[in-house]
Amino acid sequence: MSSNVDAIKADEIIKTKKRSQSADVWKRLKKSKAAVIGLVIIVIFVCMAIFAPVIADYDTQVIKMNISERLEGPSSNHFFGTDEYGRDIFYRIVYGTRISLFVGVISVGIALSIGGFLGAIAGYYGGKLDNAIMRVLDVLLAIPAILLAITIVSALGSSIINLMIAVGISNIPGFARVVRAAILSVKDQEYIEAARAIGAKDHTIILKHVLPNSMAPIIVYATLKVATAIMATASLSFIGLGVQPPTPEWGSMLASGRQYMRDQMYIVMFPGLAIVMAVLSLNLIGDGLRDALDPKLK
Amino acid sequence: MAEKLIEVKNLKKYFDTPKGKLHAVDGVNFSIEKGKTLGLVGESGCGKSTTGRVILRLLDATDGEIIYKGQDIRQLDDKQMRELRKELQIIFQDPFSSLDPRMTVSEIIEEPIKLNKLIANPEQRFERVLELMDLVGLSRRLMNTYPHELDGGRRQRIGIARALALNTQFIICDEPVSALDVSIQAQILNLMKDLQKKLGLTYVFITHDLSVVNHFSDDIAVMYLGKLIEKASSEDLFENPIHPYTKALLSAIPRPSLDNKVEKVILKGEITSPINPRNNCRFANRCNFAEDVCRQSEPKLEEVKPGHFVACHLFKE
Amino acid sequence: MSDSLLKVEDLVIHFETEDGTVEAVNGINIELAKGRTLGLVGETGAGKTTTALSLLKLVPTPPGVVKFGRIHLDGVDVMNTSEKDMEKLRGNIVSMIFQDPMTALNPVITVGDQIAEAIMIHQKVSVAEANEKAKEMLEIVGIPGARSGEFPHQFSGGMKQRVVIAIALSCSPKLLIADEPTTALDVTIQAQVLELMKDLKIKYEMAMLLITHDLGVVAEVCDDVAIMYAGRVVEQGSLREIFKNTKHPYTEGLFNSIPNIDSRKAELKPIRGLMSDPYNLPKGCTFCDRCDYALEICKTEKPKRIDFSETHFSECHLYNDSLDFQLDINKTED
Repeated sequence: MSSNVDAIKADEIIKTKKRSQSADVWKRLKKSKAAVIGLVIIVIFVCMAIFAPVIADYDTQVIKMNISERLEGPSSNHFFGTDEYGRDIFYRIVYGTRISLFVGVISVGIALSIGGFLGAIAGYYGGKLDNAIMRVLDVLLAIPAILLAITIVSALGSSIINLMIAVGISNIPGFARVVRAAILSVKDQEYIEAARAIGAKDHTIILKHVLPNSMAPIIVYATLKVATAIMATASLSFIGLGVQPPTPEWGSMLASGRQYMRDQMYIVMFPGLAIVMAVLSLNLIGDGLRDALDPKLK
Repeated sequence: MAEKLIEVKNLKKYFDTPKGKLHAVDGVNFSIEKGKTLGLVGESGCGKSTTGRVILRLLDATDGEIIYKGQDIRQLDDKQMRELRKELQIIFQDPFSSLDPRMTVSEIIEEPIKLNKLIANPEQRFERVLELMDLVGLSRRLMNTYPHELDGGRRQRIGIARALALNTQFIICDEPVSALDVSIQAQILNLMKDLQKKLGLTYVFITHDLSVVNHFSDDIAVMYLGKLIEKASSEDLFENPIHPYTKALLSAIPRPSLDNKVEKVILKGEITSPINPRNNCRFANRCNFAEDVCRQSEPKLEEVKPGHFVACHLFKE
Repeated sequence: MSDSLLKVEDLVIHFETEDGTVEAVNGINIELAKGRTLGLVGETGAGKTTTALSLLKLVPTPPGVVKFGRIHLDGVDVMNTSEKDMEKLRGNIVSMIFQDPMTALNPVITVGDQIAEAIMIHQKVSVAEANEKAKEMLEIVGIPGARSGEFPHQFSGGMKQRVVIAIALSCSPKLLIADEPTTALDVTIQAQVLELMKDLKIKYEMAMLLITHDLGVVAEVCDDVAIMYAGRVVEQGSLREIFKNTKHPYTEGLFNSIPNIDSRKAELKPIRGLMSDPYNLPKGCTFCDRCDYALEICKTEKPKRIDFSETHFSECHLYNDSLDFQLDINKTED
């Protein structure tokens, strides 16, 4: 009948497909001014991290000591001034961005994959498996995250990799809980039952139906957790357990600059500001995402 | 006598609750001939939805037999059951929550075909999806829209198309039109009737709305607290309801007409829940005609007239 | 008619959202006399709930905007009444009950306290007196007064709705607005609650605005009926006039879509198509696309109000030339 005409039209329709969902979220995210500001800041940080070698040479400008130029205030030569060893603070902050973002994202990645996996099977299968997993994680949760991180780093030794492991592990129970809750809220929906009715197996159901629909709270949580991971990294480095000198890291910069705080405030102010801006921007994005992802349907 | 497509024998489903065992479905028997519709009627807590899901093995029965095309499907293993799912399908009540919000219309309809590897060639699959959309009256240009962009009636059509995607022969319709506006309800009911004629489908039509089931079913089974209390052809049930509950149910329906004012039977009390039931008629505490025997022993479903079954002490031979 | 308890004139309400303007209510007129029950019938999107909420100034004002119209409630001009004064009316002169009894009650407060709260807001009585009255109200709606100390989750759906009714009637209102009060209830429970509402209506000499999509419920409980479609009242009349002398094609369509339990007709005759997009209502008659009787003029001009009797009117071009035109539904014998 008119199936030929419809067939032609159908081809056109297919091309205007999938953009819908993520484009909708993006549109909504843009509406929140706070989220946009957060996004801009984080993009600046990411650019700093990526282009660090272009901005400054690591060996000569970041870790090389220049005692003759020590404790100089901000100037056109040194935008943020120099520290007690004459090193340019601005360049150190730029390189510090790499570490903060790297550890932040990787540790959340570790927590999300391990914690998320545990939470997913606990949530989906329920019963004794759920109980067993969650009670073990409860034990971990009973220990304050930062204390747990300190313990792990002390045991393993101070290095960036161990930092990531420590912060990652301390976040596993939180992610397990969030993922489990998200799965629980989705798994009793009728479309899951419908999938079973058409013959889908469990793993298909989890991967194709449950997880994509529970992503929203997980994404928001992960964004906020990168912020806390950055803070944890700074904290651990501050007490000397994270990155070792002369590697530039915002927290250790705060620690070593503490004694000069009264007269050369800029030594701690700029690293401090960097931490605040990074954490703030991620929180703003997280909040914006929460609103953008939420009223999507219904 | 036409071929019995499906027969349910002594079907039971109990749930464990903190308060005790919930006898959601407690010994239900019926059979349906190919191409016919059985209306399964009752109010909240009667077990009709559970019965539907147990028949499709979306929930596992506690006891009983489900005989489809001569085979007890409770005995099948997972693999065999998945094969059979191509023929046994379900249409859900809520046209919103029964569709994955992240999938487009065509993806939803295509999924069963893809999953069961019925058509390997993507183009042919595409053709089949278009065919199904035409069959249920969904405009082709809606292919790439998402469920939340459509109204209840269209969403329900998607659900129906999905149920028909495989080699479906038997469909459990769980309150398929209850969530829809009146004028849309009529459209969907007509569609389902047409499809039944065209494709020779057999339905179990679960609903609480007796006026709809009258229009739609060949036979009707009335459930109360897990038990089947009356079963007859639609005509017979509506003209000569026998069980006091059926009579109350029928009289309670508000009629959109100023004529034929029916004497309303107002039941006392509330619908309870079948937890740890005792050996009595479950309707006794609300029945205006209850006698001692009703509170002491459970009535059995018996054939009181040819083709008309009732479970009530007052109407035994 | 100055003895009308409720008089709504030319009410227009729009919702201004970022996706466009929804023309929810498009000029409706309602009159309700003391002690009468008016059924407001329509499907989803007809504007009935918005209309009801506007009577109590409960329409959320962004995004809702009352563009035009007057509402007179027991002599009070609602549009020009302050929020503070509206609070004195709500629950007191006019009460409203909603569709879902599950969410209408606060789960952490006992039912007795919820009824007493309503009483104490409007009447100068002591706590003890309010509690006594609360128990009385429970008895009136058929719940033992001794249960006033229980919490909502301890009651079934039908009983929760009775509690809601008790709260609504606790200050003996002159008008009760009931928005689909029995839709969420089982059929036998619905029958109980409707019986209760009929009795209470007489006992309290109350007027009632009953919003529903169920013409069966209308036939049970209402004296007058107004049929709404796309924000307008397309037909209004006494119960008898609407049921026996239907004038508007939409009303006919509603009757034809419902399977009547007592007449096992072969085919249901649904109304074709869907309700118009409220963001973009058509120029002429809003029902035109779905109407089997549509004329050319229907596409371009909005129909005018045509009176068939003192109480019965409809907005439809079919009667522009002659009031005697009959719809098919009036011609068939059942």
